[in-house]
Amino acid sequence: MVVATEPSLLLERHDGYFCSRFHAMASPCELLIETTDQALAEHLGRLARDEALRIEHKFSRYRDDNIIFQINHSHGQAVAVDEETADLLDYAKFCYELSDGMFDITSGVLGKAWRFDGHTAVPDEVTIEQLLNHVGWQKLNWSRPQLILREGMQIDLGGIGKEYAVDRVAGLVQAQTDCSVLINFGGDLFSTRARQAGKAWQIGIEQPDYDKLHKQAVANKLIEITTGGLATSGDARRHIIKDGKRYGHILNPKTGWPVHGAPCSVTVAAVSCTEAGILATLAMLQGEHAEDFLVTQDVPYWVVR
Amino acid sequence: MKTMSLILLLALLAGGCSSMGVQPWQRGHLAKQKMQLDPYPLDAFLDDHIYFSKESSSGGAGVGGGGCGCN
Amino acid sequence: MQLKKPKPIRRLLTAATSTLLAGTAQQVVAAEKTPWQVDSAFLYYSEQDRVTVYEPVVAVRQETGDDEFVGMRLVLDSMTGASPNGAIPTDSPQTFTSPSGVSTYTTPAGETPLDSSFHDTRAAISADWEMPLDERLKAVFGGNFSREYDYTSLGVDATFSWDLNQRNTTLTTGLSMSQDQINPVGGVPTGLSPVPTTAGGQKSTEGDSETKDISGLLLGMTQVIGPKTLLQVNYTFADEQGYLTDPYKLLSVLDNSGQLRASDPYVYEKRPDSRQRQALYVKGVHQFGADVLHASYRYYWDDWGVTSHTYDLHYRYELAGGRHYLQPHLRYYLQNKADFYHYSLEDNNIPAYASADYRLGDMSTTTIGLKYGLVLGESHEFGARLESMQQKAEGDAPFEDNTAVIFQLNYSFLF
Repeated sequence: MVVATEPSLLLERHDGYFCSRFHAMASPCELLIETTDQALAEHLGRLARDEALRIEHKFSRYRDDNIIFQINHSHGQAVAVDEETADLLDYAKFCYELSDGMFDITSGVLGKAWRFDGHTAVPDEVTIEQLLNHVGWQKLNWSRPQLILREGMQIDLGGIGKEYAVDRVAGLVQAQTDCSVLINFGGDLFSTRARQAGKAWQIGIEQPDYDKLHKQAVANKLIEITTGGLATSGDARRHIIKDGKRYGHILNPKTGWPVHGAPCSVTVAAVSCTEAGILATLAMLQGEHAEDFLVTQDVPYWVVR
Repeated sequence: MKTMSLILLLALLAGGCSSMGVQPWQRGHLAKQKMQLDPYPLDAFLDDHIYFSKESSSGGAGVGGGGCGCN
Repeated sequence: MQLKKPKPIRRLLTAATSTLLAGTAQQVVAAEKTPWQVDSAFLYYSEQDRVTVYEPVVAVRQETGDDEFVGMRLVLDSMTGASPNGAIPTDSPQTFTSPSGVSTYTTPAGETPLDSSFHDTRAAISADWEMPLDERLKAVFGGNFSREYDYTSLGVDATFSWDLNQRNTTLTTGLSMSQDQINPVGGVPTGLSPVPTTAGGQKSTEGDSETKDISGLLLGMTQVIGPKTLLQVNYTFADEQGYLTDPYKLLSVLDNSGQLRASDPYVYEKRPDSRQRQALYVKGVHQFGADVLHASYRYYWDDWGVTSHTYDLHYRYELAGGRHYLQPHLRYYLQNKADFYHYSLEDNNIPAYASADYRLGDMSTTTIGLKYGLVLGESHEFGARLESMQQKAEGDAPFEDNTAVIFQLNYSFLF
C-alpha cells in the first residue's frame, strides 16, 4: 500500500519490506528495502533516485549539457575528463581488450543504419562500410585524462550505464544501512546482502511466447536472488524480418551486421550488476554459442531462445 | 504386409514433410497450452482408463501406462 | 562467429569491475525457483444399474534442471456395483455362485445376469523423468505400479523424441514393458470348465495366480503444418503373453432347444494366451481464431479378430473475455467382434476359446459431452466436464445397452 509520494518518488509498504519507485534511465526503477523503518526507506529511496538521475544526466547521449555531448562533439580535439568518466573509460578499454574487440563503446553509430521496428529495410553494404569507418576503440586515443575522438566517432555508455548505476547505488546504500536492499533498475539488479530468516528476493524473467514446445506452456521463470547482481541483455521484440530471415538487434561491431543466431535474451548473475551486464552482452555477441561462452565463465545464467 | 506398408507410409511422410513448417519466431500460437497435442493429460488419462475398461481396443496415442483387472 | 573455444574471463572481469566500483558483494547466490505444477482431478463414472467408480487423481511436475522434468501421479479408484458376468438372460431366474464359491446370487427372469461381488479399490502410482540427451533429442523414462486386491501391475517405459527441420518435425519412438499378476478370488478357474451353481460348490482351478507380460512399441511423427496447425501420426504395437482370460466371466451353454442345458449350464470363459495388437492413429490440431479443434481417428486391429474405428473430436470454444471456455466433445467407437466371441454356446459344440464378454463383441460406444474451463492465472485453472456414454450391440448378439454418465472436476495450480 502506498504510504508516501512526492513528485517522482513513490513509497509502498509491504509485508516485511518497503518499495520505493521512481523513473530513471528510461526504465521503471525500484528499491526494495527490508526494514520496518519508514524514514530509512524514504531516505534510501531518495538517495537511489538522486544517484540514478545524476548518472543519467551525466552519461546520457540525448542531452547537450554533459561530458558525453562534449566528447561526441569535440571534432577531433582532446577532451579532459573527470575521475569518474576516466574510470569508466579505463573499464571500457579493459572490456574491449578482454572481449577481443566485441565489446566496443564506439559502435553506437551503427544504430544510424539499423532501426529495429520489424519493418524497415535492411541497410546496404555501402552504408555499413561507411559507418564502420567511425567504429573501433583502436581508432581513438585514450591517455588518462585526455580523450581524443576522430571526427565522426561517437562513444555510448548506454551498454553499461544502467548496471553501473545499480552498483553505485548499492555502494551508497550499503554505507547507510545493514538491511538487505534490492536495487532493481528495469531488470538490472543487485541485492546487497541476504534477507532475514533465509528469505530471498524474487524476480520474474519474462519469457516470449515463441519458445520450444514443452509439455505445458512455458511459465515465466522465477529467480530467487540472495546476494549479488543480475543483468539481462536482449529484447525479444526488437528485430527486423526481411526475405524470411530474422535479424536480432545485437550488432557485431566488427562487421556492422546483427549477430547470427543470437538468443532473445541472456540473464547472468555475478558479484556485481556491471559484471553481470558485461557477461550478458558478451554472451549475446556469441550468437549461437552463447551457452558455451556462459558455461566457460562458470556463472549462473538463463538463456531464452 | 499391412504393417510394412504402414511403416513405409510413415517414412514417406517423414521425408515429404521436410519442407513444411514455420520459422522459430512464428511459434507463438503453437506454444500455447491449448495447442498442445495433449493439453489436459489428466482428462486424457481418465478417458483412456474408462475406454480401456469398456472396450477391446487400446493404443494409438501412447505406449505403456499400466494395467488393471478392469471388469 | 567465434569458432575457437571461449576463454574464461570472469576472474579478470571481476577484478577490473571492483576497481571501478566502491565495493561489491562477496559472493553470488542466485538460483531459479521452480514451482511444482499440480494437476488434480476427480472423476465420477456411473453406469445405469451397473458399476459406479469414484476416481481421484493427483499429478505433480517440476523442472529440475535445464529442460529436465520430474513428474509423479497417484490415482485411486474405488468401484462399486455389478457387471455382467457373461451369461444371457432367460425366462426363469438364474442362480450363480460368487467367485469365492461361498455364496450365491440370483438374477430375476428376463434380466441380464450381473455379478455384484466387486467392491474394489485400486491404487496406482507412476513416475517419469524427462531429460534432454542432446540439443534435438529428448528422452522420457517412466515407471508405474498399481495394486488392487486381486491384481498387481508393474511396468517401465522409455520414449525418445527427435526434433528435425527446425523443430517442425518430431520423430518419436517408445518402448514399454510390464508384468501383471492376477490372483482371482477363489483361484484361477480352468477355462471352459463348469461353473458351480450351488453354494459351496468347487470349481476346477489351475492354481492361485497367473501372470501376463506386455511389451509395447510406438513409432510416431508430429509435423507442424503451419503456425496454427499440427498433425500427428502414430503406429503402435503391443504383444501380450500369459493369462489373458477374465477369471470371473462365464458363458451360458444352451441345448438344442435353445434352453440352458440341464447339467453344467454355465462354463468359465477361455481366451487365447497370446495377443498382438496394432493401431494406426492420426490426430490434427488447428486453431480457428482463438478457438481450437482437436480431431483424431484410430484404426485398431489384433490377432483375436477385433478391429475398431475410433473418431474423437473436441472443439474448444473461447468465451468472451478470454478467461474461460466451453469445449464440446464427441467420440464414436465402432468395434468388430473377436473370433471367439459368442453370445452363448451350444451343447456338444464347445470351441477351444470362447468369451461372452460384451466388450469383445460387435458394439459401438457413443460419447457426447461438454467441458467448462476457467483460467484463473498462470497454470492455474479450474474445469468441469459432463459426458454421456452409451454402448450398444451392433451385431447379432442382443446384449443390453450400457449407459453411463461421466462427471469430472479438475483443478490445476502452481505450488
